[in-house]
Amino acid sequence: MYRMLSVDLTNGKIEEKDVTELFERFVGGKGVLTYLAMQEITADLDPFSETSPIYFAIGPLNGYFPSMSKTVAMFRSPLTGDLGESHAGGRLHLAMLSANVHVLRIVGKSEKPVYLSIDGDDVSLVPCSSLWGRSALATERILREKEDQRKGKKSIVRIGPAGERLSPIAVVTVDSSRHFGRLGLGAIMGSKNLKAIVISGSNCQKIEDRRSYQLLYDRIFQELVESENTYKYRDLGTAANVIPLSKIMGLPTRNFSQGFFESAQNISGEHFADQLLAQQISCAHCPIGCIHMGVLRELFADPHMYKTLKTSYDHELIYSLGSNISVSKAEEVLKLIHFVERQGWDAISIGVVLAWATEAFQRGLITPEEIDGLALNFGDTETYLKVLENIARGKNEFYRDLEKGVHHCAKKYGGEDFAICFNKNEAPGYMTGPDAFVGYAVGVRHSHLDCAGYSVDQKYLGRSEDIEREVKTMYEEGVWRVLTNSLVMCLFARGVYTPQKVVECLNVVGFDIDEPKMNQIARTVHGMKYLLKERLGFKFTNLSLPKKLTNVYTSRGKMNESDFEKRVELYFKFVEEDKRLASRAL
Amino acid sequence: MAKKLVVKDRERCIGCYSCMFACTRTWYGAVGIEKSAMRVKNYPGVEGAFSVRVCQACKDPECAAACPTGSLRVSKRGFGVELVKELCIHCRKCIKACAANALQWDEQEQVPIVCHHCGVCVCYCPTEVLAMEEVG
Repeated sequence: MYRMLSVDLTNGKIEEKDVTELFERFVGGKGVLTYLAMQEITADLDPFSETSPIYFAIGPLNGYFPSMSKTVAMFRSPLTGDLGESHAGGRLHLAMLSANVHVLRIVGKSEKPVYLSIDGDDVSLVPCSSLWGRSALATERILREKEDQRKGKKSIVRIGPAGERLSPIAVVTVDSSRHFGRLGLGAIMGSKNLKAIVISGSNCQKIEDRRSYQLLYDRIFQELVESENTYKYRDLGTAANVIPLSKIMGLPTRNFSQGFFESAQNISGEHFADQLLAQQISCAHCPIGCIHMGVLRELFADPHMYKTLKTSYDHELIYSLGSNISVSKAEEVLKLIHFVERQGWDAISIGVVLAWATEAFQRGLITPEEIDGLALNFGDTETYLKVLENIARGKNEFYRDLEKGVHHCAKKYGGEDFAICFNKNEAPGYMTGPDAFVGYAVGVRHSHLDCAGYSVDQKYLGRSEDIEREVKTMYEEGVWRVLTNSLVMCLFARGVYTPQKVVECLNVVGFDIDEPKMNQIARTVHGMKYLLKERLGFKFTNLSLPKKLTNVYTSRGKMNESDFEKRVELYFKFVEEDKRLASRAL
Repeated sequence: MAKKLVVKDRERCIGCYSCMFACTRTWYGAVGIEKSAMRVKNYPGVEGAFSVRVCQACKDPECAAACPTGSLRVSKRGFGVELVKELCIHCRKCIKACAANALQWDEQEQVPIVCHHCGVCVCYCPTEVLAMEEVG
């Protein structure tokens, strides 16, 4: 049985519901949440209102198979107004399974700060005014110690001060530096006065067919540990991308002015590993171990008083707080990441905002009063740290605006041409060409991970373009990822979990499913997502390419607007078919 | 010679819990970690440092000595313990007696979870934290 737990923060009411039928129809994770969101998220719903729901879900393979280690969150994004969806690793999926909570739905608003405590069947709201204002890191530290007597692995899901301030680029941090990073879930938790969720349980699911399960498990486990597909994530991590991307002019540099970063070497995965890597860690039940913890030892008083920061780094953070603001020292990137981590901002978004602010300042769009005497320069880490400090303190209107996202800022202060966002969401770290940009625009959650355009671009390097085929590849990848996001699988394991293997896994856990049926479900959910997105105001015809990006060299040369539009239109046609499928299924 | 489970290199642990999943799967036919006889724990506030606690394979185990009914007793192997479930009165004295804090408790069945020193956890450790070692 698959179970949904609903918690109303207004009155403390807790309800349980059997959602097995929804899992049978939509597999789990993203599929089930999209259906639930369709029932509840209406066009006039204010993301910060009491009735605004937050959902978290796992899928049928979490716990059962290795690297099925993600949890999906769904909500209405305060950043875009569109449907919000974000994924996080950590221990949350395991804690949810152990607490027998497959879907967690939170509505309402607490009068005072609380955290939601789920300890098996024991569910309560715990007042925590003294935690309000604490950093995302301190909150975890305190709660892990406070709840240490519990049986069962805890997952600690919390917001930092950015979420409390309702910044629409605020993240929700999960355990050790994993995040529901994108689209502003942190602000919704903040609006509900919900500082954290502490969840654990001691439930263990009995396995029906032990023999076939074990055989399949071993095949997958071995491949995950030994294969080339996962080696890169373990060894240098996603930071392995930095140098290769820069070499092909695909690493956004100085607010997407160019794709080649002259100091790429100094902020590369290789450099980080050689100089700053403390260790790799992993999410629960994932033998890959992709989380790279950097360690920074800093002298704070002469002659020998040191402090040490430990912070995880990844490609996206190195791009957004490194190359894109021209910070050329790995140590400085770590320092910026650490600040962002404590505040609880989306590192991609805040980096894009800093890059925009720098360009806007240099073009004279920002007055000295607004910037409060600072002079922004690409590469000036010390000033960037002051800017972040000013945002955190809400120093003046300009600084308060900066944490509202780049779209908001550009609308107010100008510089829309170089505000690098798609559907109001700040762009991820690839400028590999048209497919990357189109992917950010059309993707179900406007993430580079929706349809992997950046990887399609790289396949077409040096080859003549084939727009129709490229878009079709992206669409098919997009549909497949709808399914993997319903299981809920970590994308780093995608090379191991082929469609055929996923069918085998689903069969072992009792799903009567084959590849065609799986594809049908994925397309249906894909269609449902766009039906819902359109209800909330999303339109393919409104999608645009930030003007600056028509004037810069990507890995595949310059891109023009009509090319962008052509590709978007092709994608739109595929989606139309899926929407019809979804309408019939609903 | 019989072999026992040991923590060979704790600092290598990445915290993936594959060991605990393997133990639970093998001995209880279940998915999860809570039935595992060993524990990987993370400390509050210390990013990425794990404490790995396994049965110490005592020859004169404190846990067995503390058992008032003889339910938990020295294993026939000559080290570590075995459980006669029917005799257990669920008093938890064994858990408290283990100074290494290594003996685990089954919340559902209300009995201690004994380690069989079978080594299945070792097979699933991707970074060779765990090992089997001859009992001296």
